Amino acid sequence: MNKTIGQRILDRVSVPLVAWVAALLVYGTVMVASATSSMNSGSGMLLRHLFGIGVGLVPLAVAWFIDYTRLRGWQGPLIALGAFLLISPRIPGLGGTAKGATSWLEIAGMRLFQPSEPAKLIFIVIFAAVIANMKGRVDTPSRITKALLYLAGAVFLILLQPDLGTGMVFVAIAMVMLVVGGMKAKHFAFLAIAAAVFVGAILGVDAGLDEMAGRDVGLKDYQKNRLLVFVNPDIDPTDAGYNLAQSKIAIGSGGLTGKGLGSGTQSNLHFIPERHTDFIFSVLGEELGFFGAVLLLGLYLALLLTALAIANSSRDLYGALIATGVLGMWLFQILENVGMTVGMMPITGIPLPFMSFGSSSMVTNLGAVGLLLSVWSRRYGAGS
Amino acid sequence: MPTVSQEFRSRFGVLGIVVVVVLSALLVRLWTMQVLNGESFAAQAENNRVREISIQAPRGRILDRNGVPLVTNRSALAVSVDPSHEDVRALLTRTWTKDTADDPTSRELNEVFGEVATLLGITTADVWERVTDVQQEALRPRVIAVDVSMESVAQIAERQTDFPWAIVEEIAVREYPNGNLAAHVLGYTGAISEEQFKNSDEYAGYERGDTVGKSGVERQYEGLLQGDKGWRRIEVNASGRAQGVVSEQAPRPGNDIRLTIDAAVQAVTEEQLDKAIAEAHRQGYTSSRAGAAVVLDIETGEVLASTSRPTYDPAAFLGGISSAEWEALNAKTSEYPLNDRAVMAAYPPASTYKVITAISGMEAGITSENTTYSCTGRWTDMGKQWPKWCWKRTGHGTVSLRGGLKHSCDTVFYEIGYELYKRGEEELQATSREFGLGAKTGIDLPGESAGRVPDAAWKKRYNENYPEYQMWLPGDTVNMSIGQGDMLTTPLQMALVYAGLANDGDVMRPHVLKDVLGSEGDVIRSIEPEVLHETGVSAEMLGVVERGLVDVTETGTAKGAFAGFKPTVAGKTGTAQVKGKDDYAWFCAYAPAEDPKYAVAVIVEQGGHGGSVTGPAARNILAQLLGQELKTIRTTDESR
Repeated sequence: MNKTIGQRILDRVSVPLVAWVAALLVYGTVMVASATSSMNSGSGMLLRHLFGIGVGLVPLAVAWFIDYTRLRGWQGPLIALGAFLLISPRIPGLGGTAKGATSWLEIAGMRLFQPSEPAKLIFIVIFAAVIANMKGRVDTPSRITKALLYLAGAVFLILLQPDLGTGMVFVAIAMVMLVVGGMKAKHFAFLAIAAAVFVGAILGVDAGLDEMAGRDVGLKDYQKNRLLVFVNPDIDPTDAGYNLAQSKIAIGSGGLTGKGLGSGTQSNLHFIPERHTDFIFSVLGEELGFFGAVLLLGLYLALLLTALAIANSSRDLYGALIATGVLGMWLFQILENVGMTVGMMPITGIPLPFMSFGSSSMVTNLGAVGLLLSVWSRRYGAGS
Repeated sequence: MPTVSQEFRSRFGVLGIVVVVVLSALLVRLWTMQVLNGESFAAQAENNRVREISIQAPRGRILDRNGVPLVTNRSALAVSVDPSHEDVRALLTRTWTKDTADDPTSRELNEVFGEVATLLGITTADVWERVTDVQQEALRPRVIAVDVSMESVAQIAERQTDFPWAIVEEIAVREYPNGNLAAHVLGYTGAISEEQFKNSDEYAGYERGDTVGKSGVERQYEGLLQGDKGWRRIEVNASGRAQGVVSEQAPRPGNDIRLTIDAAVQAVTEEQLDKAIAEAHRQGYTSSRAGAAVVLDIETGEVLASTSRPTYDPAAFLGGISSAEWEALNAKTSEYPLNDRAVMAAYPPASTYKVITAISGMEAGITSENTTYSCTGRWTDMGKQWPKWCWKRTGHGTVSLRGGLKHSCDTVFYEIGYELYKRGEEELQATSREFGLGAKTGIDLPGESAGRVPDAAWKKRYNENYPEYQMWLPGDTVNMSIGQGDMLTTPLQMALVYAGLANDGDVMRPHVLKDVLGSEGDVIRSIEPEVLHETGVSAEMLGVVERGLVDVTETGTAKGAFAGFKPTVAGKTGTAQVKGKDDYAWFCAYAPAEDPKYAVAVIVEQGGHGGSVTGPAARNILAQLLGQELKTIRTTDESR
């Protein structure tokens, strides 16, 4: 079969995927522009956002062109790279601290990126191989335990930073992949109960430790506060509760049609914290209202279903699992980010995919698109 | 081409459902927030964004009866601290937590406020006391200094980056062009107290920190003087910084009011009271520090002058009085300069009361102008074991009722009082009340005292726990007949008694407000004269009393004080005995006797003799009113 180059490229591209991602990038750029318009360095921020998108095209292209099946042979080096990324902020001279978490890679005072972001993708690839090696039969306690050990290792390293939100993303990715990996409903139920007991015990033990040590050891107080404030936002109206309250006011006051781009008072008068990053959805909800939110969630639905279709079309389980992992990552981040702005989820620093300002997550998400394209373009066999 | 889809279809199906469920959950949540509860959130957003700041209305001016300004407004440079600035708010937040351990230390406070405090010549503690004043609206800047020098203001303004929380502004404060003239009538202003603030009836619409009248006319006519606040709605950002004005409403200034006070008469009255106290000192009554004087227009009840000693400076209250000054004004040894003795203090009226006894006796038919009495200096009609003395121990000999007034002979009034007691009808009390004694006059000044007209029922109640003292005795009426015993009157009440005598027996309601002016200076409301008590005393009896009172100033106990004075004055000296104190000197009068216009009452606490201390003061006040020459009079008159 002779195809023109154009046809061959088209064949390797999932047009819907590219279309939805492009639409989201445009939407996100518009929102970042609006959210940063009242900042002193607003136009600079917008340029940095566009720059992040540009940089992200590199990992997108690389992941796309690499045959994902070859990654399976790189399990050892990938684990080493992933572990290094997660631990790197803790290495003296490399780490930078923001909001209580040492989650930045910083060299000579220059903030490079948050290594836990690309580590998500590496974890997806590693975990896909683990489950694929079990041939999609992760349904015995010993197999489940083995798979979960990989997750536990990753989460342990993340909690060293400590970054609770990212840890939750990893757990979510693993759980979604385990659905495809064959884990049964009863196992999920058992894990859920065990996790609940575990978290309760951790909080209890941590409180005890703090008491004994006379200072804040183990889980940081701000992390516990965020969780507790989520349960009862009236606890502390000045900090985390204040953020949540202001975010809810912003979104609620947007009503059906919103106040108009750039006209959100909650946003422009700085009532919304982190309005161009973690709370970009609050700006969107205020300025574009319910219709704007429906548009965004509609785009996400299309994106996620496209990812699911790509997984479904994969010629092997490994590719399907990688696609599933990406889907899980996005789904959870959407749930967590939008959920926290409306008070359904605890407040953590999880960015909204393709929308939030921030190059680390932008580059990572575009890399994830590259992974999906890699799976899609090889659905008929390697090199085809 | 085999894909994994056949084998894993159900697993992908589960994932698809999870995706739809998660997004639907978010959508439902957004629907309830944005569509169902959108309005409530919109209101909260608006509330977040817009702050309403009230604009103080200029307080109305207070003028004298001729339009001479007594209290006006001026602008003063004030330095305030903005409590919503983050530096200050951080400190306040720590102070307001229950945990006192994290309260800002004085060193921290010094770091923030020390330099400004030094520039203003106050201490950091002073600044912090004002900033933490909870009796203020939370966002209102706290004034820490008023009448700041231009030099200090310039330094603070230049270094705005060092003191970003400091606000320099012009504020309107009260100005007293005549110093402390009429301080007691005018009263002072200050920040609304918590008690006043909670009294929502009178202070509806007030905010913490508002300036209100605290005493005198400022307090009495607060509602007229205050005006209506304006407001300005401003848009603020999350740190409370103003971004722009949304809308505003100009304030409506308070009404100017004109008092019945005549500034010139007031000035002379005050000066004469001061001189009377000085004269008391010269005569050896060195404990004398306090007194009061009231001048009335007898036909209208208008208060032409009213003063009290010791006095105070109302300007000391501008921008908040310091606690040291406040304590000094309220110390036990201060003689309470804030009290307006003219209406608040109740004294035994002593011999000035004898006019009431005379009228009561005449109305009872037990005495008349020429009824004669024999005064030996010692009066034993109630029994040898209960002797009473006339002030003139050697006696006045044979003396008539008219002569009794002229010489202030106690024996005459003992006799009348004893006769009245024997009739058992409390006629003396009734006559007293007819003239308004024992009840508040209803003058438009706060804190008025009712005085006391003692009677059998009162005595019984008063000595509830001392049964042996409950019975009304002959001596009670006898003491009362010379204005002693349990009888108490305010200087205003005695001035009204003499005004009533002068006004054919009609006592007019006293008042200090003459009229209320509109924004154009037009009169929008005037106080009309009103009869408070129609005593119904016959012209004949009033004539008897008047002839006795004219004798007093011409040939009687005040002849020295009024020597050569024209026109004729009807007056009466009084020398009240107060246990443990030097005698209190009284003088009450009206003039001209032929065509009365004015009534005067003067009292000097522990001043000695009415004839030589308060008599000359009353003489010069009347001289001012009647266009006569003022004179310094020294008499050695020691009569009562």
